[in-house]
Amino acid sequence: MASSSLDTIAQAAHARWGTPASRAAGPADAILDQLPAVVLEPTTVPMLADMLRWANADKVAVVPRGAGTKLTWGRTPPRIGAVLATTRIDGSIDHCAGDLTATVPAGARLEEVNAALAREGQWLPLDPRLADRATIGGIVATNDSGPRRQKHGTPRDLIIGAEMALVDGRTAKAGGRVVKNVAGYDLARLLCGSFGALAIITRATFKLAPRPPASRTIVASAPQARPLADLALALLSSPLTPAAIELQSRPDRLLLRFETTEAAANQQAAAAEALCGAHGVDASMVSGDAEAAVWREHQADLSSADGTLVRVAVLPAQVGDVLGHAERVAAQHALECRVAGRIALGVVYARIGAGEHTRPSPESLRAAIDALRQNAWARGGSAVVVSVDPAIGHVVDPWGDVGDALPLMRALKARFDPNGILNAGHGPGNI
Amino acid sequence: MDQRFLDELGAVVAPGGLLTDAADLFTYESDALVHLRATPGAVVLPVSADEVQAVVRLCHRAGVPFVARGHGTGLSGGALPVEDGVVIGLSRLNRILDVDIPNLRVTVEPGVTNLEITRRVSPFGCYYAPDPSSQIVCSIGGNIAENSGGAHCLKYGFTVHHVLGVEAVLPNGDNVHIGGAALDLPGLDLLSVIVGSEGTLAVVTKATLRILRRPEAVLTLLAGFESIDLAGEAVSAIIGRGIVPAAVEMMDRLTIQAAEAAVQPRFPDANAVLIVELDGPQAEVDEQFAVVESVCRAQGATSMEIARDQAHRERIWRGRKAAFAAMGRVSPNYYVQDGVVPRTKLPEVLRRIRDLEARSGLRIGNVFHAGDGNLHPLICYDASVPGQAEHAEKVASEILLYCIEAGGSLTGEHGVGADKKAYMPKMFSTDDLDAMHLVRCAFDPAGLCNPGKVFPTPRLCGEVPGPYRQHPLERAGVVERF
Ligand SMILES: Cc1cc2nc3c(=O)[nH]c(=O)nc-3n(C[C@H](O)[C@H](O)[C@H](O)COP(=O)(O)OP(=O)(O)OC[C@H]3O[C@@H](n4cnc5c(N)ncnc54)[C@H](O)[C@@H]3O)c2cc1C
Ligand SMILES: Cc1cc2nc3c(=O)[nH]c(=O)nc-3n(C[C@H](O)[C@H](O)[C@H](O)COP(=O)(O)OP(=O)(O)OC[C@H]3O[C@@H](n4cnc5c(N)ncnc54)[C@H](O)[C@@H]3O)c2cc1C
Repeated sequence: MASSSLDTIAQAAHARWGTPASRAAGPADAILDQLPAVVLEPTTVPMLADMLRWANADKVAVVPRGAGTKLTWGRTPPRIGAVLATTRIDGSIDHCAGDLTATVPAGARLEEVNAALAREGQWLPLDPRLADRATIGGIVATNDSGPRRQKHGTPRDLIIGAEMALVDGRTAKAGGRVVKNVAGYDLARLLCGSFGALAIITRATFKLAPRPPASRTIVASAPQARPLADLALALLSSPLTPAAIELQSRPDRLLLRFETTEAAANQQAAAAEALCGAHGVDASMVSGDAEAAVWREHQADLSSADGTLVRVAVLPAQVGDVLGHAERVAAQHALECRVAGRIALGVVYARIGAGEHTRPSPESLRAAIDALRQNAWARGGSAVVVSVDPAIGHVVDPWGDVGDALPLMRALKARFDPNGILNAGHGPGNI
Repeated sequence: MDQRFLDELGAVVAPGGLLTDAADLFTYESDALVHLRATPGAVVLPVSADEVQAVVRLCHRAGVPFVARGHGTGLSGGALPVEDGVVIGLSRLNRILDVDIPNLRVTVEPGVTNLEITRRVSPFGCYYAPDPSSQIVCSIGGNIAENSGGAHCLKYGFTVHHVLGVEAVLPNGDNVHIGGAALDLPGLDLLSVIVGSEGTLAVVTKATLRILRRPEAVLTLLAGFESIDLAGEAVSAIIGRGIVPAAVEMMDRLTIQAAEAAVQPRFPDANAVLIVELDGPQAEVDEQFAVVESVCRAQGATSMEIARDQAHRERIWRGRKAAFAAMGRVSPNYYVQDGVVPRTKLPEVLRRIRDLEARSGLRIGNVFHAGDGNLHPLICYDASVPGQAEHAEKVASEILLYCIEAGGSLTGEHGVGADKKAYMPKMFSTDDLDAMHLVRCAFDPAGLCNPGKVFPTPRLCGEVPGPYRQHPLERAGVVERF
């Protein structure tokens, strides 16, 4: 790509695949104001593999794309050869209800997959940001999850097999369609969180969960976040089995969700209310429409593109201190900062400088991220920039130090993608 | 093995940490799959991660292959030595380094046994979830290498779901930290491939594991059935009703008899028994139990026994966990197979196994993790009858083909190792295996770390990309790195 101009790339692609599989980029295809030379939208997996083979041979930088809900993150290559989209690839959802598994095409939207699985009373229990639009491939590639991670984990915990297109145009599979399987290396899990840096995911198989018959949510409020952090820890050492334990800020609240049988949901909600009382925290129970509204609002807040979102991960018992620290950092740099998320897992999201009028200077943003990062590192944790205000995105390193295994990650990248065409420099740890 | 190399090995491990006498080496010639044997040139028994690293560095420099070994209970020849290579026995790295109850984490050395962790944390109401039947003896290092599972994996997942981080020595002697006590550490998820790599990617020297709170209520049901088919239908119906039990185990008449003779669990006189365990909040367990009971009744359960206390539960589980060893009571020799089928294919595959039993003239007992379709057919034979051992092996491998044909897997928990590598092409295409081999080459380009396992044929890695070089795109200013 260094040698061939963007025009040549587009012409070569059009000549090979014609429209509509190959088309010129429109404004909606821009990634951080960068227009790719060409947008490739294959309709079959062999066509996708062929496109990848071509890009590899001609060293065309490729950005795999699902719904494109979150491509504007951190750093993007200054010049993008091709966007390779998975959304037009046909393929059906293969639901084996009796086995509690499903095999789904990468371009399928999570929402559409779950609508199909609901017919048999099952689901893929993931609730990432923008779940209505995000694709299976994008969710696997980012290992994204949401509040229900407390009970169900991340895509990595649910995936049991995957099919992928390699840069040389071959397709390969790993894992299988059975929940229990230790034959060969677990490449399906390796692809989780690989950000499209190793291969393009074309299909994935997951273990599913039965849809819970009932749900209750306890809304616990306190004047400050600290008692809520203590309450979250107390929940961890109780026999309760919440599906979600979410921190919200302004107002500071904990949302405790119980999804199980009717009687058990009521019993657990009552026990959680009692626990709140013991911690001097106000609590009220919601169910039905009111409950749905509380969660819809929370998801909208998590999914918002406002400001810069930093994921801070530490041990659960350290979250209280991290919240206090974040507050001090925000005050010191005169920034707006709100922290929400999976408090009992130790994974919270700090949103910095939301809103046009509170946009921070690049220097103060960088200083704040550095401070959050230093504090998390000192505790053996991390701070990763999930999405950044595009106007100042160039100033931050999304990942920070990934430690002494970085050479190994680079070696893996070099084996899978020797020409560095797949999201080059954009994968985890900037590989 | 050359004396100078042996002297160097001896110099980097504590006194008594190097074994070279034939009598000492004998113990290390095989794992629990005893018919595959090889004599190593030396066995080292390091007492620290630094010693492990020093040993691997020496092997790397001298180009000597090495094999990590936990407690040798593997059933696929994973710890089978390389002839004249080095075995790194990790049994002396056996300390529990940290127990962090508020965060539900423990950090251990690889030689700690699986059950020791649960013993250590149970005073705090916690336990370590993966529970292989061999848990009294097998090591965490071995569990990580095999991605071991147990009866309770249906609900709680396998080792891969419970390991949060490891420290490991790479085949080139570098020490790396992968993952950690906190979640979501940035970078590629290398832990995913180290777990289940059967010791072919690195030697694990430390692991941070997730522990769980004991559930509020546990209820175990032992139900007898007229036939394996009816018991199997009960399993499908339970799951069809939206219940994922903590465990669902099934045994057939032959294995029931064997268990009865060995440990007297007082199982009912039936053609099949199901053990269904529910756990969780009391109200949930109660509601689900009512469903499970009615399902079993509808499938014509001939007996039902409910264990509500620990002692009773332990008696039932003793019968299940002893099933392999107990086969010695009903047959002079037996071959343990490990295969997986989609749960809905169980009846079909079991029918084929029964036909095979009739055709082969060998008795086949069936114990399985019915919830996740993991079969353990036990093929009985008499090694003193010429040809019968080979015949049993053929029968065992035919069953594997049934599993693969049904869309399952050639191993659910015992691993590929040296034993099943020849079957890998039945389940994976050349391209699939090539993709896996990319991982192997990234970790171990020289092919010294437990070579000859997992992959069907020895392979070379080709040109080594080597340490990081500036990429052409970077040089051209097209991309940059931080
Ligand atoms: C770098 C990054 C980090 C993120 N981290 C978080 C987080 O920690 N928490 C959170 O809540 N949300 C996070 N998100 C948001 C998350 O990506 C979205 O919620 C959603 O999962 C993306 O779905 P999509 O279909 O829109 O993917 P896209 O936005 O189209 O793609 C997302 C990423 O996956 C790659 N990709 C897409 N499809 C494939 C495929 N089939 N094969 C291989 N690679 C593919 C893309 O190249 C891109 O790197 C992150 C997003 C990005 C880009
Ligand atoms: C009676 C019996 C019942 C069993 N039941 C079960 C069961 O229910 N579920 C199940 O999953 N398995 C079961 N197994 C198989 C076996 O116990 C497991 O595979 C176990 O994890 C092996 O542990 P080990 O310490 O004995 O490892 P070993 O046999 O010593 O080694 C196994 C593999 O791990 C590698 N290894 C060991 N330590 C390390 C390390 N520190 N770093 C890197 N690689 C390492 C070795 O190289 C080898 O490839 C059973 C075995 C027996 C004999």
